[in-house]
Amino acid sequence: MMNSLNSTGRFTALSAILVSAIGTVALAEDTPTSTPDSSITFGVASWSVARTQQGMFDGMRDHDTYGLLDLDLNKRNSTTGTWFTLKAQNLGQDHREIRIDALRQGSIGGFLEYTRTPYDSPFTIRTGLQGFGTSRQIVNGTATPTNPIDHSLGTVRDMIHAGFYKTLSPSLELKVDIKSEEKTGTRAYGYGSAALFLTEPINSTTRQLETAIQYTGTNLQLSGGYYGSWFDQDNGGMITATTGTSATATYLSQPLSNQAHQLFVDGGYSFTPSSRATFKVSYTHATQDEHLPVWDVQHLTGVPSSLDGEINTTLVQLGFSARPLPKLSITAQARYHDMNDDTPVRQYVDTATDVWNTPQSFTKTSGKVEATYRLPKNYSLIGGVEYYTQDRSVPSIGDLYVPFRSRLDEMTYKIQLRRSLSDTVNGSIAYLYSDRTGSPMTESDEGNPQNQLNPINSADRTRDKVRGSVNWDPTERYSLQFLVERARDNYKPNSNPYGLTRGDFWLFSVDSTYAVNDTWNLTGWYSYEHMRSRQKELRSGNVPNDIHLGEITNAFGLGVRGKVTAKLSLGADVEQSRSDSRYKQSPASFTATFRPLPEVTNRLTRYKVFGICDLDKNMSLRLDLGYERWHTDDWTWEFANGTPYIYGTTTDGTTFLVDPDQNSVYVAAQFTCTF
Amino acid sequence: MAVLHRAITTLGMALGLLSTTASAAQTGTNPADAACLICHSPAAMPQLSGIGRTKHGVAADGRTPSCVSCHGPSQAHASGNGKADLSYSKKSKTDVATRNAACLSCHQSGTRIGWQSSAHGMQDVSCASCHTVHAGKDPVRDKKTQTDTCLSCHKEQRSQIRKPSHHPITEGKMACSSCHDVHSDNPKQLIKSSTNDTCFTCHMEKRGPFVHNHQPVSEDCGICHQPHGTTVSGLLKSRSPFLCQECHDLTGHPSQPGGLPVQRPTSGSVTGSAGTYARGCLNCHTNIHGGNSTLNDATAGRFRR
Repeated sequence: MMNSLNSTGRFTALSAILVSAIGTVALAEDTPTSTPDSSITFGVASWSVARTQQGMFDGMRDHDTYGLLDLDLNKRNSTTGTWFTLKAQNLGQDHREIRIDALRQGSIGGFLEYTRTPYDSPFTIRTGLQGFGTSRQIVNGTATPTNPIDHSLGTVRDMIHAGFYKTLSPSLELKVDIKSEEKTGTRAYGYGSAALFLTEPINSTTRQLETAIQYTGTNLQLSGGYYGSWFDQDNGGMITATTGTSATATYLSQPLSNQAHQLFVDGGYSFTPSSRATFKVSYTHATQDEHLPVWDVQHLTGVPSSLDGEINTTLVQLGFSARPLPKLSITAQARYHDMNDDTPVRQYVDTATDVWNTPQSFTKTSGKVEATYRLPKNYSLIGGVEYYTQDRSVPSIGDLYVPFRSRLDEMTYKIQLRRSLSDTVNGSIAYLYSDRTGSPMTESDEGNPQNQLNPINSADRTRDKVRGSVNWDPTERYSLQFLVERARDNYKPNSNPYGLTRGDFWLFSVDSTYAVNDTWNLTGWYSYEHMRSRQKELRSGNVPNDIHLGEITNAFGLGVRGKVTAKLSLGADVEQSRSDSRYKQSPASFTATFRPLPEVTNRLTRYKVFGICDLDKNMSLRLDLGYERWHTDDWTWEFANGTPYIYGTTTDGTTFLVDPDQNSVYVAAQFTCTF
Repeated sequence: MAVLHRAITTLGMALGLLSTTASAAQTGTNPADAACLICHSPAAMPQLSGIGRTKHGVAADGRTPSCVSCHGPSQAHASGNGKADLSYSKKSKTDVATRNAACLSCHQSGTRIGWQSSAHGMQDVSCASCHTVHAGKDPVRDKKTQTDTCLSCHKEQRSQIRKPSHHPITEGKMACSSCHDVHSDNPKQLIKSSTNDTCFTCHMEKRGPFVHNHQPVSEDCGICHQPHGTTVSGLLKSRSPFLCQECHDLTGHPSQPGGLPVQRPTSGSVTGSAGTYARGCLNCHTNIHGGNSTLNDATAGRFRR
């Protein structure tokens, strides 16, 4: 017995020592790995050739060398739960961003962020336009400008974003979020009275303020607050354009400053762990009551100088989810969204065609129920139905240009079989059918064939959609994913033969991953997409045009990642996307001088290889080598004979220069220091 | 004897755990995790230790969960018999509602109030399908890597964002969450309660109201635009004149076929042939989103002023 006791005692003492030691050692080893790390990445990158199409947003469109600097700095005090983080990307480049966060978990926190988003149009504009990008522009008065200048179009968004939160009590939190974005630049624009080139100067500020109090209880959650948004037009609101030496000006109106104020309350209550009700209520008051700049030029006698625009929007949404039986779950939702344009109606134009302003109001109501029944072997059967109605305000005065429907009704039915939680094969197949009808069409004031057209957003329509997906994991190392989707819209012609009659969509994709071993893996994917539509028009002289549009997109990607040695990782990717668009129409529509539209092919291919070498525990070197090929034969800025499109006939002469083939090599070297 | 044996063993274990608990307090680790960390230590399972670098790993915050909070007491697992009570991997047999309940016990507030009624919630998507909680940095919460997660299911959008006219998603300036709040029960899981309100957060100049409103613009930006990406400039679903002809068919220039002049006309009006090249119908109808002109001219009401 004593021997047994001694043995037990020694074993227990040893166990205690071991547990203590292992536990302590484990946690001592935890300390460095549980500390958020920081990194600084710096280097250089270069593109061998200008890439205006792919470089629209990434700030690297030119044949140039770019400095790279990214910061990811994290400091945490585990004892107090205090964080300070600084994240910066693309510093020194055009698309830079930086964010600083400071917070004490569960107590208080805030952040400040700056983001710059450039957009550079891929075209070069060769023009004699004077006042490019301003509110006063003069179009060249001869067929060809004498001394055209090359310009670029584009915009820059500079956004400051700040946020703050304070925990008022364990279940109550205050949040404030503020955004202010300045947008400047120039966009392509039109002359209005003729197909001549102008620019739209962009200089505006968008501000958003959202503040909310959130209550989080065990069963009840509430969030209520205010969302305000303001758009400030900073460029005067009007463009004045003339041509050559003519004194006759064309005045083009611009969007004007507007604002909206919203109060909202969202909430949810869990009656039991498996039954929950939610609600959303909001009211928005939006106005646009700026002075109309064109009013100073000309207006109908008696018309006020501002629109007094006012739109009031009410949203009420109720939801409920429950599991009344162990194998049956039900979700239901009802939604009422009423956008009421209360802008007063006034006559603004008094000519052969009288024109009033056109407030548009919509009331959208929907209700849906969906039930899921769990079958054996991890299968679930889902069925659902949704009813949607839209009431649209009918213009009370003025001309109707398009047949109009005051009410839409749409029923959607869904059935789905799904398998999940299986070790090898999971997936689902779903079928949706929806049928849209509505009130009788109110005829337009334009006569036939306009009144024989089905407007796309209100015509009777049936929609079928089938979607099937399979995730197959035959082994631990290999997985496959298949997806097939087919959708078809039929716009029932009724007695109206013109407009869109049919739309078709096919999607097929396959994805695969293969873990060769613990350090190497391969990925691959392919997708095929085919879209088609058919629409009919009736041209002058009762010449019909039967239009068949189609687009096929093939895309694939292959990738490999792996560790060659303990310190060297390699990777490579190749990716291609190609779309072919066609525009088939009735031959009678064309002549020797007006030609049908050729197919358009867009193709993007990218090859990338990279290597990461761990120079030591805290420093690594990454080398990237890439090759990008872009090709397009888009004819948007060409005549049928392949020459660049030229604005105007006897004036203007502006051309858009397009580089249809852009092949560029990318080389980059980056050091990353981790600490 | 057996009682004494058990007492000594228990005392030993308690001493060991006290030691690790003391160390845990020093390092900020939740003491309740100590038993789990004996086997699931960073040295043995580095892929799990990343959670210590996140807000979930800060014991100073009283709300921070322990291993048990999410994975359950798992007594059988601790004894070497079977898996944890709750697991979140791809091969987990725990039903999704139970898995998500663990997350929602803390994260049901704010925009996640309506999770159960959301499209993802109704499709039995688990939080762990998208979120990598144990990683030091969750890829789905980073703008540059978020799309990889979303596109693992949403294949249609994978080819759309690569088309020539697109939002700057592949460039890392926007992510899916710039427009979508996947936790909410808004239509199409948008960040605002309608398509237009979502678009207006960046394109507020289109909000109006205008003196001359264009009806489909007021109704839904998605009638004309496909925001994920298209082959037509301006993210349009279809080219001019075909897109416009889905509502407009008058004898005269609105019903012109889509075509290209062979060369530049040297005289006359181009109205009947300018509906395709350059900006198409917008060559003249340039204020297509709405106009504020008060000119006493019918063109003012047709978005040409």
